[in-house]
Amino acid sequence: MSDETQRPHAPAVETRALWKTFGQGETAVHAVHDVSLTIGQGEFVALCGPSGSGKTTLVNLIGGLTDPTRGEVRVDGRDVGAMSEPERAQLRLERIGFVFQAYNLLPVLTAMENAEFPLMLRGVPKDERRKAVSALFREIGLEGLEDRRPGALSGGQQQRVAVARAVLGAPALVLADEPTANLDTQASDALLGIMELLNQERRVTFIFCTHDPRVMRRARRIIRLVDGHVERDAEKESGSLPDWVLEPVGAG
Amino acid sequence: MMERWLLIGRIALRNLRRQLRRSLLTASAMVLGVGLLMFVRALEGGAHLMYVDTATRMGTGHVSMEHPDYMGSQDLADRIAARDLALLLEAVATSVPPGELVALFPQVNVGGLAQSATSSVPVRISGVDPALESGVSFFAQQVVEGRYLEPGDRLEAVVGIGVAERLRLELGSRLVLMAAGAQGDLESQLVLVTGIFRTGIPEVDRGVVHLPLPTAREWLELGGDVTSVSVILASDQRTGSVAEAVRGRLTEEGVAGDRLAVRPWWEAMPDLYAGLRADAVQTYIMLLVLLAIVALAVVNSILMAVLNRTREFGVLRALGLNRRAVGAMVLVEGVFLTLASGLVGMLLGLALSMGVFGDGVDISFIFGGELAFAGSVMEPVIQPAVLAGDVVAILTIVIAIGILATLYPAWHATRIEPAEAMKTDE
Ligand SMILES: Nc1ncnc2c1ncn2[C@@H]1O[C@H](COP(=O)(O)OP(=O)(O)OP(=O)(O)O)[C@@H](O)[C@H]1O
Ligand SMILES: [Mg+2]
Repeated sequence: MSDETQRPHAPAVETRALWKTFGQGETAVHAVHDVSLTIGQGEFVALCGPSGSGKTTLVNLIGGLTDPTRGEVRVDGRDVGAMSEPERAQLRLERIGFVFQAYNLLPVLTAMENAEFPLMLRGVPKDERRKAVSALFREIGLEGLEDRRPGALSGGQQQRVAVARAVLGAPALVLADEPTANLDTQASDALLGIMELLNQERRVTFIFCTHDPRVMRRARRIIRLVDGHVERDAEKESGSLPDWVLEPVGAG
Repeated sequence: MMERWLLIGRIALRNLRRQLRRSLLTASAMVLGVGLLMFVRALEGGAHLMYVDTATRMGTGHVSMEHPDYMGSQDLADRIAARDLALLLEAVATSVPPGELVALFPQVNVGGLAQSATSSVPVRISGVDPALESGVSFFAQQVVEGRYLEPGDRLEAVVGIGVAERLRLELGSRLVLMAAGAQGDLESQLVLVTGIFRTGIPEVDRGVVHLPLPTAREWLELGGDVTSVSVILASDQRTGSVAEAVRGRLTEEGVAGDRLAVRPWWEAMPDLYAGLRADAVQTYIMLLVLLAIVALAVVNSILMAVLNRTREFGVLRALGLNRRAVGAMVLVEGVFLTLASGLVGMLLGLALSMGVFGDGVDISFIFGGELAFAGSVMEPVIQPAVLAGDVVAILTIVIAIGILATLYPAWHATRIEPAEAMKTDE
């Protein structure tokens, strides 16, 4: 299918004058407030900002999990708002991986089945699936845990399975909403290492929502939201942590 | 694509297993409800078969043939002429499969008066051929005093116990029967009581007299004519097709229609048929109410399963399942649960009907004496009968419950907004 709006080197994500308002009148909350962003293929971006600043709402809008009140979201150059529900589901299946804070996995499936779930939905043959999952599991330290159900995995292991699931289908984009919030330092570092690796090896674009300085330190671009709009947006070296990211609201 | 649906099915089944206790509880409600429906219908079906068996053996037969107007007029003028009788007997012989025909007998039925020395009562008088009806006649089995008619009898007659009581008759008593004959004149016939029967059906015991067919023909100046011919079949399942075949033959011969009506028992005895239908409908309505309650339990159980997994449905949607697929997953879960438990329930019903109570259920403790119903009667021991029609109907009900009970929870699952779902902990 050739989509007119699909461009070969389109940015991974573009938002144009994006708004999301909850409620009406005096009680209305502008969770996302006129956000225009362009995130290129292969970027490693951290979305930060105080609690309630609209990070989750923004990534949900990008992933098509919720509809914007106004404005436009493009993923891979395709207008998400113009898509039907099944088309959006298909877009998520083929182009977007999600990692949430917790309870990402389907409890009735094993680690292996959880990881290969999107590939199964896409009809990838079993041999191919298993090969891809095994290779990735080995790479990210999940070897030997293939047949465990999520209940029998640690939080860090579960998050690694979720990341494996998110990247296995070779998506253009992985959206991760506070993936390290439930993990200790060691597990967070391991998870971030894996994501960085996948970003570099496979050119997968990562967008994180995070409060975690370790995540921000690894990011190469930091976008700071305050009250639903972009307050700062800056590229940086991996490993450094600019002081403005943690400043209190309004001090920047 | 196939892979996708298999995956959805697999997840649905594993979810049922994950909630094993809830699934089993829901399933057991279905099993009991459906098993009960099946068993109660088998009992009723068995009772109905008995009613039909009795009613057909009381003279109407599974298929009966009369002059088309006789059923309404009860007038000897509307009778079957001797030459049509010959054609008819041949038509039956050629169109009933061998082994299916149990008995074929002509009768003369007429309304009249039975008179003793002391009083008189209106009766229905039947001239029967004891040789042809031997072994199938219901009356022969119900004789409580004396004996039933036998081949070679001339002036012997058998009367209902109510007739005997009202006319103060004993074995050997004389009795005068009076009725309008073929010529329209009142004719009378003297007979001797040789047997008394008791059927348990008040209107029959109070008003039926049997005498030999030749005597009846002579008395009423009928020559070789009769009023009706009855066919008894080995099984009621063939009734419709036999009636159809005989009617076809007789139409070819040019006698069906004007001169002869061929009727299956349900047309010949519309009251009995309507009564049985009403009975079955009543049972279904009662049990459907019961199953509706079971269905509500299924709705509740599946809905809880959906509500408890809101977050999971959010994850599935985020992974790229669309609304339809998520709804399908819930449908598979619910339909599988109800269908599997419904089938087990049907097996339970079968086991009860054919195994545990296969030798019959004695219900005399509920009703005491005979059970008369719409002009028929049955014995107090019911042999449960699982009828094909009931199996189909119950299976349809099970599938319908499965789908109806799951539609709402499935619809609810499709309405879950992924962004909202991800905020919950469930
Ligand atoms: N469904 C909703 N209805 C009403 N208001 C909502 C809804 N979802 C989010 N909000 C509001 O929108 C704003 C942004 O919420 P959001 O969850 O995007 O913040 P966040 O930056 O992810 O916060 P946190 O760091 O705590 O996760 C908040 O003020 C929140 O109360
Ligand atoms: Mg958030």
